[in-house]
Amino acid sequence: MNPILTDIYSTVIPSAPFIIAAYAIVWVVLLVYVVMVVRGLKKTEAQMALLEEAIAKKSRD
Amino acid sequence: MAQRKVNVPEAGQWPDKLAVPALAAGAALTTAGFLMAFLFAAPVNGAALDAPELVGGVMVSHQQLLSQKIFYFHMPVAIVSFIALAFGAYYGVRFLTTREQRFDTCSRVAMEIALLFVVFTMITGDLWTRFEWGVWWTWEPRLTTYLILMLIVIAYFVMRNAVDDPERRATYASVISVIALVDVPICFMITRLIPSSVHPVITREGGMAPDMAATVVVIMLGMMLVGYGLYRLRFREARLAERVQALKEQMED
Repeated sequence: MNPILTDIYSTVIPSAPFIIAAYAIVWVVLLVYVVMVVRGLKKTEAQMALLEEAIAKKSRD
Repeated sequence: MAQRKVNVPEAGQWPDKLAVPALAAGAALTTAGFLMAFLFAAPVNGAALDAPELVGGVMVSHQQLLSQKIFYFHMPVAIVSFIALAFGAYYGVRFLTTREQRFDTCSRVAMEIALLFVVFTMITGDLWTRFEWGVWWTWEPRLTTYLILMLIVIAYFVMRNAVDDPERRATYASVISVIALVDVPICFMITRLIPSSVHPVITREGGMAPDMAATVVVIMLGMMLVGYGLYRLRFREARLAERVQALKEQMED
């Protein structure tokens, strides 16, 4: 390969793992956080529905 | 102290409906920005070459720095962390003045989002530092002040877990959220206040080219929407959990 082209791209390949890691970590952590919050939200909504049902039943009795 | 009008915390206000659209728009914009960073924004020049070379019809006279692409996520997440900290402190002050639990929850959730984005800033910055400077860490002024900021945010959550009394916990937490905000302008301005700082500064490097600026704006908007969407989603969960707890206590009575 042309030595000047080698020089131009000399930092490109060595830096690739760091760039991939930076973007991947941000995306993966965001995704995991969203999944955790949505799961927690669904669980709390289910608890809420059960409680409302129990309160309605209690007020009827 | 003002008497609370409702014992059961409210949950499910209309802004909660914006959470999913904000997250979707944020994901779309950050993805578009990611593509722009690699396909639209020109590479940044590094060291000068011995002789220029024609590459793809363009005369190249410097090394091409791919590592600079980390900046397109690094700077927006740092700005979003500052915004989240500002909201955390704002709601902290609202709690201190009103003693309404809702504001403590707002502050806690904003601080949680701030911690997430502070960690993103540290990770993306550290990966760049490792490649460009050859070290994982250096006691450079920007890095040091940002580390202090991260430690304050971590201390905020450690304190929350350590204090049992809700009123005291919320009061201490509000004060810490304000202290964290005090570090934000120090962090932001430190590279200007200490010119010997080796951390790159856009204005010092000659500003951003239009293609760079457009990419940063798209990702910045995307990250802000992601931050807002996460905040609303997490806030809804936290308020619902408080409501469930209050209803359980009401049933027990």
